[in-house]
Amino acid sequence: MQITFLALALKNLKRKAFRTTVLVFAIGLFVALLVFAVSFTISITSTIDRVSKRLGADIIAVPVGARTEAQEYLLESRNTSFYMPAALLDEVQRIKGVRAVTHQTYVTSIDGLCCDVIPTMIVAYDPATDFIIKPWLNRAIGRQLGPGEAIAGSGTAENLGLGLLGIEATLFNNRFTIVGELEATGTGLDNALFMTEESLQEIIASGLSPLSKDQISVIFIRLDDGLDPDYMGRVIEGQVYQVDVVTRSSMGVRWLTTLADINKIFLVTVSLSSLLTIFLVWSIFTAIANERVREIGIMRAIGARQSHVVKLFFFEAGMLGAGGSLLGVLGGTYLSAQLAASFALMNSISAGLELGQQLAIGLLGLLVGGGVCLAGALLPVNRIKRVEPLLAIKDA
Amino acid sequence: MAQLELNEVSKIYRVGDNVIPALDRVSLSIAKGDFISVVGHSGSGKTTLVSIVGGILRPSSGQILFDGEDICALGDVELSSYRNERIGFMFQFASLLPMLTARENVMLAALFGQERSREEQQRADHLLDLVGIGDRVEAYPGELSGGQQRRVAIARALMNNPGLILADEPTGDLDEETEAEIMKLLGRINREQKVTMILITHNAALARTADRMLRMKNGRLVGVTERE
Repeated sequence: MQITFLALALKNLKRKAFRTTVLVFAIGLFVALLVFAVSFTISITSTIDRVSKRLGADIIAVPVGARTEAQEYLLESRNTSFYMPAALLDEVQRIKGVRAVTHQTYVTSIDGLCCDVIPTMIVAYDPATDFIIKPWLNRAIGRQLGPGEAIAGSGTAENLGLGLLGIEATLFNNRFTIVGELEATGTGLDNALFMTEESLQEIIASGLSPLSKDQISVIFIRLDDGLDPDYMGRVIEGQVYQVDVVTRSSMGVRWLTTLADINKIFLVTVSLSSLLTIFLVWSIFTAIANERVREIGIMRAIGARQSHVVKLFFFEAGMLGAGGSLLGVLGGTYLSAQLAASFALMNSISAGLELGQQLAIGLLGLLVGGGVCLAGALLPVNRIKRVEPLLAIKDA
Repeated sequence: MAQLELNEVSKIYRVGDNVIPALDRVSLSIAKGDFISVVGHSGSGKTTLVSIVGGILRPSSGQILFDGEDICALGDVELSSYRNERIGFMFQFASLLPMLTARENVMLAALFGQERSREEQQRADHLLDLVGIGDRVEAYPGELSGGQQRRVAIARALMNNPGLILADEPTGDLDEETEAEIMKLLGRINREQKVTMILITHNAALARTADRMLRMKNGRLVGVTERE
């Protein structure tokens, strides 16, 4: 068996268990705050980013004045309806730089005899031009939808209690067979029932929906390679007056503006907290160094180098930092999951973190917590390593 | 060749405008295996002399040769290695680390060595046995008597096979009986292990048991008495 610096450092930490606990707790609080702030921010920004990427379009064109409603549906799953003439499709298609267009039409089912499901967003798409739904359909059922068929988004399936294929539902007095469930996309489309444009025409023909023929809700646009979506968005708005556009960079701008303000508060709070933690670590390690000056003198007298002294103290600081950071990562992650649910901003969008993001934030917490601890210990350790052994032994 | 040579070694402290010569041009030569005692009043320079020889204090001037090597020219890393490999220290106070067991305190000397060995624990246990407390290897310093703690300190000083042990009043706060036991042990180690020993003591009777007694006064070496 050999004695090691790590074992020595651990024994030193155990000597003053209360002080060690206080320091670990303080670092944990700071890291929890950091993890919470970063999780909150990334959760929202990555959700918005995820939505815009998953839609697969460079630009979304919506009726004039419906920009907010469109984002509310796509990001917050709020049932809403807005319409524009289908003829605008051709106008948009004709613009130079537009590679492909497809459209969707939204209508909300209603409570009533005509519909035997809870109010749900119906999304009709054009199978001939669609590039949004098709990839998901292929993965779910391996084919396109036929007339009289619908497929549920993952959230809709849960809401309707769908568990088996082949469930029939009545929508605006039309019978539809719900043939399956799409995988979760993290967008508002998760809470929709999808059908073809042809099926929607049957609903329109029933006369019970608010929709009339030749109306669409959204145009999804793909651009030629290399074109700037923000620039093309302005071009489209300039040439087709009846539409507003939403590009990836403007997706969720309302939420991002609110988030920016919140982030300023987070930044100040986290910065002050880090300074406080560094100061706390500095003061405790200064006390530790003063208490153990004779021990250091003895160790130096029996052959410890200055680098050994530094190594020992940095192992102690590192262990404190690691312990506190781990506590903080767990605490901050828990806070993100529990407290954040009370934020209206987090409630309105289906914000969440992927496992990779959580791990990255956890790693950030560990690194920052450890770094703050080492930074606080730097000055006291630098001072004590330089003390002449005899003076250290005598002065104590 | 002498194991240890001091040539005109001085140590001066400057406090404001005052110049305090803690050691004043001391020269001496010590052979391997010698048992040397150093006596003198408080402030005579005994601890300063031993500290400079042990490499825990730098002299202001002079030369110190250990096995022919000038230790004054060594940098911090080399001087640390010198202390670790060639010197064994015993202090006038209980110098064990309180959070380590007797065995771990002895093994501490090996932690700072350049080369580690898998037999460190066995060696520590052997040394603790040699000094007479082989049955208390797992005890913490708080659980040992003053004499037992000194024994552990001796074992630690021997851990890396030093050529020279420096003992600065190692029995100063012990009772007579324990003091005698410790001195007997040091004498045995000196004879059996052929380790050179320099002992600082206030006790004249103990000092006379050494091969040579050096008398210090005001930082100077004022007398040398060979044992009859």
